[in-house]
Amino acid sequence: VTPANPLREGLRLPRVPEPCALVIFGASGDLTQRKLFPAIYSLAYRNLLPERFAIIGVARSPETDTEFRNRMKEAVREFGRDPLQEKVWRRLAAGMHYVATDFADAGSEDRLVELMDKVDRERGTAGNRVLYLAVPPSAISVLVDRLGHRRERWDGWTRLIVEKPFGFDRASARSLNEELNQFFIEREIFRIDHYLGKETVQNMLALRFSNGIFEPIWSRQFIDHVEITVAESIGIEGRAGFYEEAGAVRDVFQNHLLQLVALTAMEPPADFTAESVRNEKVKVLRSMRAPGRRDVVRGQYGPGHIEGKKVPGYRQEPGVAKGSTTETFVAAKLQVDNWRWAGTPFYVRTGKRLAKRESTIAIEFQRAPHPPFARDIAEDLRPNVLTIHVQPNEGVSLAIGAKVPGQGMLIRTVYMDFLYGGAFRVELPEAYERLILDCLLGDATLFTRADEVDEQWAIVDEIVAGWKRERPDFPNHAAGTWGPAAADELIRRDGRAWRRR
Amino acid sequence: VAQTLRDTSVAEIERRLDELRAQEDDSLQRTSVLTHMAWVPSEWSSAAERVMEGLGERVPSRTLILWPDPDAKEDGLDAEIAQERFGGGTRDVCAEIVHIRLRGEAARAPASVVVPLQLTDLPVFLRWRGRPPFGKPELDELVDAADRLIVDSTEWPRLAGSTAGLVALFDRIAVSDLAWSRTLRFRAGLADLWPGIKKARTLRVVGPRAEALLLQGWLRSRLRRTLRLGHETSRTLKRVEVDGERVATPPLLTVSASDLLSEQLEIYGRDPVYEAAVRAV
Repeated sequence: VTPANPLREGLRLPRVPEPCALVIFGASGDLTQRKLFPAIYSLAYRNLLPERFAIIGVARSPETDTEFRNRMKEAVREFGRDPLQEKVWRRLAAGMHYVATDFADAGSEDRLVELMDKVDRERGTAGNRVLYLAVPPSAISVLVDRLGHRRERWDGWTRLIVEKPFGFDRASARSLNEELNQFFIEREIFRIDHYLGKETVQNMLALRFSNGIFEPIWSRQFIDHVEITVAESIGIEGRAGFYEEAGAVRDVFQNHLLQLVALTAMEPPADFTAESVRNEKVKVLRSMRAPGRRDVVRGQYGPGHIEGKKVPGYRQEPGVAKGSTTETFVAAKLQVDNWRWAGTPFYVRTGKRLAKRESTIAIEFQRAPHPPFARDIAEDLRPNVLTIHVQPNEGVSLAIGAKVPGQGMLIRTVYMDFLYGGAFRVELPEAYERLILDCLLGDATLFTRADEVDEQWAIVDEIVAGWKRERPDFPNHAAGTWGPAAADELIRRDGRAWRRR
Repeated sequence: VAQTLRDTSVAEIERRLDELRAQEDDSLQRTSVLTHMAWVPSEWSSAAERVMEGLGERVPSRTLILWPDPDAKEDGLDAEIAQERFGGGTRDVCAEIVHIRLRGEAARAPASVVVPLQLTDLPVFLRWRGRPPFGKPELDELVDAADRLIVDSTEWPRLAGSTAGLVALFDRIAVSDLAWSRTLRFRAGLADLWPGIKKARTLRVVGPRAEALLLQGWLRSRLRRTLRLGHETSRTLKRVEVDGERVATPPLLTVSASDLLSEQLEIYGRDPVYEAAVRAV
């Protein structure tokens, strides 16, 4: 046995993945241009990609290698966060190829497999492959089937990245998992929920588990309720085909929102490995019961104003049915039935065309039990709120009561803020940078596991089943507002209110 | 914003800093993460100014730049106080920079000046330009007032003759050496030669003498044997060979002097591998 390398001890080097080829299916799509390539370039810019690395773009539209490289270069220039440096780009472009093929045709995978073999020989990528499925859900099955049958002959490791939405409901997600499992084992499957790649979401774990002051009070005994908002001011941005099918409940609630609940409510993991973290998250999801009819509100925006400009209602968006009953807003009161959280509600809401773009997790603590002040002052006292700003203005703030200077005892709520931009003068990496790098390194901590997805769909299926029995009166709120009145009523009847700050 | 104070006091400097802070009309919040002290003898003034450029932009901090003038005719303090803002909107980073000229006695008792000006409960980093005067009261005082000492042993006339003084500090304060940081790329390359490097006999380094000695000391402490050192002086570390074979290095992001210093400001604990390398020089 070779003893451990003593020269490695204490070397503070960035982790660099093993040689590999990244194969992007859906290379002509928006995601590849706006997110994936800028992220890959940023990794190359920071020398975080292996020296022996290649990228193969796959799509139906015909394109040469040169055209593909030029298109991606423009994408990096337009959407990237780092300056486009010719030296870095040339290094990356040297390993870039493109294959035009339609996987619906039998034998279509031959050209890709040939190219992957050639790339292995020329770039030394050792048969290691990451297959990034940036394609619509309907295209996944055939792709996996065709490539799966060929992978037995590949030398190195293979990893599969699957974009959300993972399935349409619990049954279809299970069916998709079964298809994937015919050829890939669970630790080879990386299901992306890009919210988990955001720094502030990861900061939730840092905040909870690296600060001794929070964990002892992180429970029903001290927390009155939790409020999670994922609000967008934009509309559906030309994605009517997808959104009409999915709605807010499948687009955001099933994945981002439930993941944020799980991260907020999970028990401390034994360590920060993928299995430990995901084991704790899945326990939370299993402890959640689907909200009953009274505890969930759906909405759809009508015409209104965003930032002073008139915007159309959802039903007036191009490609949307005139009488569409697709929800663009969901609010729910969720309960996590375990020892830590029993009786502490999690109010969640998400929607498009809301008053502003904001994703926050607000932990509202119980009021001071007996403020020793005059009655009129005590009645004005507000509870402490710890708010994690996921986006924008990433950071954390704590609302506390403080005495207003001067005679008498006047107390006002003030905010202790920590803004990322103020404390760390570094640009926050894009979520896709972190997630692509983690996959190349084989670290699945920030990806969702099959059982998590399954539990998430179980909750959504029950909600949707309840909706099937009634026809909603849509639209029920104007664009540019915080959703329908029923959402306010949902929380008001518990004697609480949504945060407005 | 800059204010110059002649023959001033610590209390007056504090008062002016408070004033500057109060003048911010939109200061919804203010974050500082550390106090950074720099001891800059006159011969290092221009180099120090260069390295300080850009530092505040990265690290919201209070920087106390101390200019000792022990031979001044009169004891006392002169100060220049500046506040710099970087960025825009809600992402402003604010740095307070205080230049203090320590005249006469003040240069020999600097802690009494800087301790009241340090930000409470935040880590204190001490950057010492040139060779620290080991055993002298000004160094001892500032070491006791800081959490981490940052030096650059390539700035010293001889590393070999200074290791005893440096080693004596290890149990009192965590030490960073920028020369050591600059060898990282080559240490990674040398680590890739394991286990073959166990039998290597010679190490040849083209670069500053201090960095060559640190690499030799590091190999001696890790491998528990000595490689004979051949050295060719160069301003920067350019090439390392083991038994005549050039060591390949991984591509790492090239960093400027300011970057290197900023990196050190994010490290808090001791570095036992570095300490062992220095002991083995």
